[in-house]
Amino acid sequence: MNRARERAPYLFLAPFLLLFLAFGAFPPLFAAAMSLFVWDPASGYASARFVGLDNYAFALTDPWFWQSCGNTLWLALAAGVPQHLVALPLAFWLHRHAGRARHWLLGAYFLPFITASVAVSLTFATLFSTEYGVVNQALRALVRLPLAPDWLHDPALIKPLVALVVFWRFVGWNVLLYVTALQSIPPTLFEAAALDGAGSWRQFRHVALPLLRPTILFAATLSLIGGLQLFEEPYILTQDGRGGSGGAAATTAIYLYRTAFDFGDFGTAAAMSWLLFLAIAGLSWGAHRLFRRGDAA
Amino acid sequence: MRRVLAWGVMLGGVALMLLPFWFMLVFATHDRAAIFQLPPPLWFGDGLRDNLAILTQRLPFWRNVGMSLYVAGMTTALALLLCSMAGYAFAVHRFRGQRILFALVVASMMLPPYLAMVPGYLVMDALGWVDAPRALWLPGAASAFGVYLMRHYITHAVPRSLIEAARIDGCGEWRLFWSIALPQCRPALSALGLIVFVGSWNNFIAPLVVMRSMERYPLPLALRTLQAQLDTQWGALMAGSAIATVPLLLLFVFASRRLMAGAVVVAGDEEG
Amino acid sequence: MSFRTVIVLVLAGAALCARAAEPLTVAVYPNLDEAIRLVTPLWKQRHPDVPLRFIARNYVDHHNAMTTALAAGSGLPDVMAVEVSYLGRFAAGGGLTDLAAAPYQAGRLRDRFVRYAFAQAENSGRIVAIPTDIGPGGMFYRHDLFSRAGIPEADLAISWESYLGAGRKLKATTGAFLLAHPREIKDIVVRAGLKDGDGLYFSATGQILVDTPRFVRAFTLARAARVAGLDARLTPYSTEWNAALRTGRVASQPGGAWLAGHLEDWLAPGTSGRWRVAPLPGGSGAAWGGSFYAIPAASRNKALAWELIQLLTLERSLQLAAFKAPRLNAFPALRAAQDDPFFAQPVAFLGGQRARLYWRDAAASMPALVVNRLDPLAEEVVNAELDHVLDEGKDIAVALADARRLLERRMRRP
Repeated sequence: MNRARERAPYLFLAPFLLLFLAFGAFPPLFAAAMSLFVWDPASGYASARFVGLDNYAFALTDPWFWQSCGNTLWLALAAGVPQHLVALPLAFWLHRHAGRARHWLLGAYFLPFITASVAVSLTFATLFSTEYGVVNQALRALVRLPLAPDWLHDPALIKPLVALVVFWRFVGWNVLLYVTALQSIPPTLFEAAALDGAGSWRQFRHVALPLLRPTILFAATLSLIGGLQLFEEPYILTQDGRGGSGGAAATTAIYLYRTAFDFGDFGTAAAMSWLLFLAIAGLSWGAHRLFRRGDAA
Repeated sequence: MRRVLAWGVMLGGVALMLLPFWFMLVFATHDRAAIFQLPPPLWFGDGLRDNLAILTQRLPFWRNVGMSLYVAGMTTALALLLCSMAGYAFAVHRFRGQRILFALVVASMMLPPYLAMVPGYLVMDALGWVDAPRALWLPGAASAFGVYLMRHYITHAVPRSLIEAARIDGCGEWRLFWSIALPQCRPALSALGLIVFVGSWNNFIAPLVVMRSMERYPLPLALRTLQAQLDTQWGALMAGSAIATVPLLLLFVFASRRLMAGAVVVAGDEEG
Repeated sequence: MSFRTVIVLVLAGAALCARAAEPLTVAVYPNLDEAIRLVTPLWKQRHPDVPLRFIARNYVDHHNAMTTALAAGSGLPDVMAVEVSYLGRFAAGGGLTDLAAAPYQAGRLRDRFVRYAFAQAENSGRIVAIPTDIGPGGMFYRHDLFSRAGIPEADLAISWESYLGAGRKLKATTGAFLLAHPREIKDIVVRAGLKDGDGLYFSATGQILVDTPRFVRAFTLARAARVAGLDARLTPYSTEWNAALRTGRVASQPGGAWLAGHLEDWLAPGTSGRWRVAPLPGGSGAAWGGSFYAIPAASRNKALAWELIQLLTLERSLQLAAFKAPRLNAFPALRAAQDDPFFAQPVAFLGGQRARLYWRDAAASMPALVVNRLDPLAEEVVNAELDHVLDEGKDIAVALADARRLLERRMRRP
């Protein structure tokens, strides 16, 4: 083979790889090295001391770390599951019945997805303000409340609020994924089912759902990965970006950020980020296995 | 009857999705006191000018807007070029180290962005790039997702036979890419461009860590600066949020088909 | 370490290239940016060739960004503002210039500042920062509401028990809540009875103090306020809290001197003349916040940085201007500034009280406490445990033991 052709792929890749290695691949590896050291941030990293896996042991026995993991999982499920329960029938309806309006309806649901999470979170913070927020005023007009719910500060309420914001932002994305997948199903399948007397519900249940199975697993995996990395919404919504009183809505991403930048423990923060990565990779791998089996069946 | 009900539910859902945007725009035209009153304002007020005055007084606001545009524009332009080149190499060529490199790229998509926060800062620092806009757009351009998307699209949409035929005709490697493959990739390029632009425009964490001077803050970070413990000017914050959102709304109105087509590419791959 | 060498080389290169028009950078949190704006004209006069550039960040983001910059050893400003609760952390390492040493010799300035403020930045002979403003305070209360309920000011100040008693009476007659959140009570009680050299959460030798009788009493009183329904369950400094102060739903609020200015300017502008400030119950002394300026060891412009800090903290007219600035209300740490006639003037918002004199005396008698690098964490842990006690009925002894255990774990870290 000629040499130009052999060299070409490397030349095409070189600029990307250069940036990717410097800014994409090196920092996580550096973090892996950092996770084996302890140092005092105020003295700079010249004071680093090798401690082996000590930081991992510390993270795994840290009650706040486990609490943040619990919160993260809770939020990933509470925000994620309803997204799919809503998005699936919605996508089916849009696909089958919305006709020419489909694009604009889909667009309306998709809009929150492209909006800056900082802007979104600030807006929700005003809407859910206890005394004068639009939501509590509307609630008060509908039912008699003994005490207005303090969405932004009550440890029991901040988590559902964060879940709601995440749901609102990402439901349209899932609708889009499902509509896209539905478009690849031959319409004749639905028509045949209709001829057999199947109504909308049964077409959805017995034709669309089984065929959507791989997409559902894919979309759910994406929700899971995104959910496990959740940071900006709870960071902006809670006072001081601490995830609420006692870290009630602190996700693992927030907690590791705080461990580094607030507590100054960069080694443990690096260890936590690797633990989080292993959890995400493990769960994604599990979902992938499930998805493969679904394909074979 | 059921049709009417279904449309009702549908439009109700749309209203709920759009309601926060409505309040964001309405609140942008009221001052702090008016936002938190009984009942809240539902229609536009006349406070926009004052809110903008607060923004421009407390922040180098228009420079923040300019910085957002500049960073997002640079990221997008560079990402399109680099990702399509790399994606092309992965899709069309066979070379030593291909599998491992591609696996590395895919694996890096699963890394939580916060993993790179502290070491990423140290890298920027070693390069002397702290507070330089290129510390935002150069890393942003090295999008693993972009490479993944372009490789996928080129594999499916650009027939190998086309490339081979051109090669036999004596076409050079660069022209194969630039004149034969790239023109076929327009849908994927516009989708990737929009996705990268939106992601860069909305980025909060990276500037939080590396930017030092207020004139160089992109919008989201500048807005966060105003969220003080005491004395938060909510009206001005809503005006700023609206300004951070409106360009994306416009972009979306004009390019929603392409943006959503980008998602088709993503979704399509996992099924194929 | 070769990585470090690279950094040093890059920095040295950058320093050589950019020496000429390099500005002096100052990193602050709101609203200290106001103080930098005030000093700018004077600075321009003195150093027309060195522009002053300031960087303001959200309060939490500022301290996090400074932590990162210190950890990396660069990306630091020439002058950084440090809030008192972060002072212990920033002082712990060698990241800040020791101002006790030559050429600064800040020790000779000691007597020019309020004693307790200066002492907070001084630790085993090192001085890491210079105080600029302090937060002596008292119990702000709605005089009109308490008089309507027939409660004299003395009832607020005698003891915590009489304060809570006054709250019960107030609620029964006017329906107003005594305070926003019991955490306010806890924050003052844990500071009661401390002497020079004591620490709030940690002793000078690093012993954890969060399960001492001081904390038990603070938690017990806070719980009593909650059980009696005297608090409005509002998070201080939230929008709701703001509204409650404006409408009189919350009738007393302990806070630093700066609260008076904020109340008048925008928290509760329509309530002028209805507020007063009383001594804290049981003769407690407490301070709410305080700001310092420090020079990072990595600053390349230490001489000018020191000159700027001296301007900001020692220039009487600037200290007074910062106190009078509506968005800042920074109570001067400089004693010379406290002799100004402005201090003896009646405060119209507080119904003509000469409150500034009272704050000045309160500041002078404040004990000099030692700070610890884990202070911010300890405060958070204690607040979280208090919430468990108040909201879930957790046992106080168990809560404080849990707080102790969490801190013990953290103390073993760097």
